[in-house]
Amino acid sequence: MSNKQKEFLKKEKRKKQLIFFFQILLVILFLSLWELLVNYEILNGFIYSSPSRIFKTITNLIQNNNFFIHIYVTLKEIFISFILGITLGFITALILYEFKMLAKIIDPFLTMLNSLPKVALGPLIIIICGANVKSIILMTLLINLITSILSIYNGFLNTDEYKIKLLKSMNASNLQILTKLVIPSSYQTIITSLKLNISLTLIGVIMGEFLVSKQGIGYLIVYGKQVFNLDLVMSGIVILAIISFILYKFIVILENKLLKHI
Amino acid sequence: MNNVIEIKNLMKNYHTKEGEIEAIKDINLEINKGEIISLVGPSGCGKSTILSIIAGLDKDYFGNIIKNKDLKIAYMLQSDALFPWLTIYENAILGLKISNELTKENILYVDNLLKTYNLYDFKDKYPKSLSGGMKQRVALIRTLALKPDLLLLDEPFCALDQQSRLLISDDVYKIIKKEKKTVILVTHNIEEAIIFSDKVIVLSKRPTEIKKIIPIDIKNKEDVYIRRKDENYNTYFDLIWKDLDKNE
Repeated sequence: MSNKQKEFLKKEKRKKQLIFFFQILLVILFLSLWELLVNYEILNGFIYSSPSRIFKTITNLIQNNNFFIHIYVTLKEIFISFILGITLGFITALILYEFKMLAKIIDPFLTMLNSLPKVALGPLIIIICGANVKSIILMTLLINLITSILSIYNGFLNTDEYKIKLLKSMNASNLQILTKLVIPSSYQTIITSLKLNISLTLIGVIMGEFLVSKQGIGYLIVYGKQVFNLDLVMSGIVILAIISFILYKFIVILENKLLKHI
Repeated sequence: MNNVIEIKNLMKNYHTKEGEIEAIKDINLEINKGEIISLVGPSGCGKSTILSIIAGLDKDYFGNIIKNKDLKIAYMLQSDALFPWLTIYENAILGLKISNELTKENILYVDNLLKTYNLYDFKDKYPKSLSGGMKQRVALIRTLALKPDLLLLDEPFCALDQQSRLLISDDVYKIIKKEKKTVILVTHNIEEAIIFSDKVIVLSKRPTEIKKIIPIDIKNKEDVYIRRKDENYNTYFDLIWKDLDKNE
């Protein structure tokens, strides 16, 4: 390796470190500013809480053994709705792709459902499913499923016409065209819809928990609001932020694995 | 039978909401074994449609395509038709896999092709890391792997820049000649048509008919550079140019 190349790599590495350093610095600055403002009573700690209060609340939750139950409940709901949403979305998109006539028929209804604010259906869902986990999952599915269907279906539609022609000239069956071409060439779209899906799933689950739950992080936030314990509300938000960051990272790792060569 | 395929009174109409369009009027053509013929014509004249019909992808036409029942036809398209998520090797055997012909003998044949055309060392790499010319060679091997009796090339070099185009057409020509393939080439590039073909078919604009068949009598059959320098090259060029409908 030439010296110039070494220098270049070093520079790139330094750039990365610098970015990371400033990111950490930003977090530290934000947290200390928050703490100080509350400490000097410029901000009302009762309403705005503070990093130390949040830290104390979370330790308390952990000591009382409640913490992991809430996280477990919320994660379970996220996991189920996410997997269901993406699987059903994928299968529906496949069916629509194979039966384009059907796709054309239901197109206006999908569009309508997609733009309808699903929270409006909340009360109806609770009455039909009862105040339990089922409601939360159904709510979330309503929010994440339509988007998944539409984005994956569009990915399928964007398959290169030339490549379809090529496979047809090799006498490929419809199933072969699907498995060898249409699905793999939609990896990028599928990953994008996973990313979109994860944030929609979080929205759905927390909204559902706001409406019906007895456990979970959404419940913590609502409960905190009801008893005017805003430390609890803030702690819930912080935990949520961390969870969504981790889930997103998972998908990025998956993306790098799947799309390495594309 | 000396001819591989015979096209008789081929006719095709397109149906659109605005009305019926006469796409192909009357095409009669005979292709002999080992022959390379080119179809040239103004863009939109239905050259590719003719290939699709020959390949059996388009069944909506009038006329007769007379060919042996088990005539194997393979199609090669523009350069980027490799699947990026498959390795070079997986791309090369794609056709065999699809048609369930992944026999030991065929795999050996593909291995040999990859070795002959200097791609064997790259067989576990992905298309992304190959040059345009190498990709084109892989696409050709993928086509040859099926051991076709008739090769259809649809503007195979049109996505390439001038330099790669020259290098690759030389490669492809040598491979085709060495494997003794019968070829129909569709192109809008007159130069390409001359240096590749034994016969150039000049097509009219829509509705398409054959305007002229120009036999290319260049002795050298090995090297496109030498073929280009043939004393008659310019004459052929002028002949084709004169008969080509200009899109105005």
